[in-house]
Amino acid sequence: MAMKSAYITVIGNLPIRFDMEQAKVLGPVIASANSNKSIVFDYATANTETNLQDILNSASFRGTELLVPEALFKKYVFFDGVNCLPEFPGLKSYDIDPEKCSPQTLSLMLAVYLRQTVVFLLGYDISNPTELTRLKSIALANPQTKFMYICNPPRTHQLDDLENGFCDTFVKFQELIDRAE
Amino acid sequence: MQNKAVVYKYSVKLMWPAMCRNRSVEILKDRPDLVDQMNKFRQKVDNVLKLVSRKHYQVDAAYLMSGVRLWFESGQDCYDFIIRQPEFEWEIQPELSVMNPITSQLQTFDIVYTPTGVTID
Repeated sequence: MAMKSAYITVIGNLPIRFDMEQAKVLGPVIASANSNKSIVFDYATANTETNLQDILNSASFRGTELLVPEALFKKYVFFDGVNCLPEFPGLKSYDIDPEKCSPQTLSLMLAVYLRQTVVFLLGYDISNPTELTRLKSIALANPQTKFMYICNPPRTHQLDDLENGFCDTFVKFQELIDRAE
Repeated sequence: MQNKAVVYKYSVKLMWPAMCRNRSVEILKDRPDLVDQMNKFRQKVDNVLKLVSRKHYQVDAAYLMSGVRLWFESGQDCYDFIIRQPEFEWEIQPELSVMNPITSQLQTFDIVYTPTGVTID
């Protein structure tokens, strides 16, 4: 069994140009729906049937643990790679419905659920105020976890009001990967 | 090459033949004919699974009063086994248990038979 990593990478809703295979050096990588298909991810989340069907028909997702809300899981229960998302604590207080929220929010909650201490956010869409608010809510509720938003320069200041929210560039992320290798 | 560990994700309970159900261990001690029938039933199930399953399966060795628990690695094998029950004249308890690899919990759902197959509720 692989040693448990302290890091986890969440690939958000936005397509990104980065060799995500490298991020696997740091720990598990979670994909959000079918926005990125370039590597075999450890986990992928989806909450619409269209996305799930596309994922099931994509060769790159073979071997990926697909996690979907319970209602969708019941329809695809006999598909080996499809699993039910756990019941995330505090969902009501965040006002998040797993069947209606964005896949990247599901991925973020899964990352926190898996109890990694540092969550890297790549291609994570925070231009949408709802998404940003949800990210901040989850970060506030999990002060023991560090959330590292990775972007191209210039770095954003959107997460500066969080004690456990940071922003860095892809260059710094690559340096961290190189050191881990 | 390293062998990948087999994970039995799906589980259903197949009911014993009617006369063997809900018998306590004490009764079974006095009724070797029932024990013999149960052993033959278990062997027959194993033989059938050997023929119809494409991936790994397991007939649980633990004794349950109502039936025998079967484990499947593949969802397709499990589905095929459920819908082929009339063919074998066996009776499955209409519950499907699925191992969740994230929570390591066994989640149980109701099996609902429909004219076109089975659905899960």
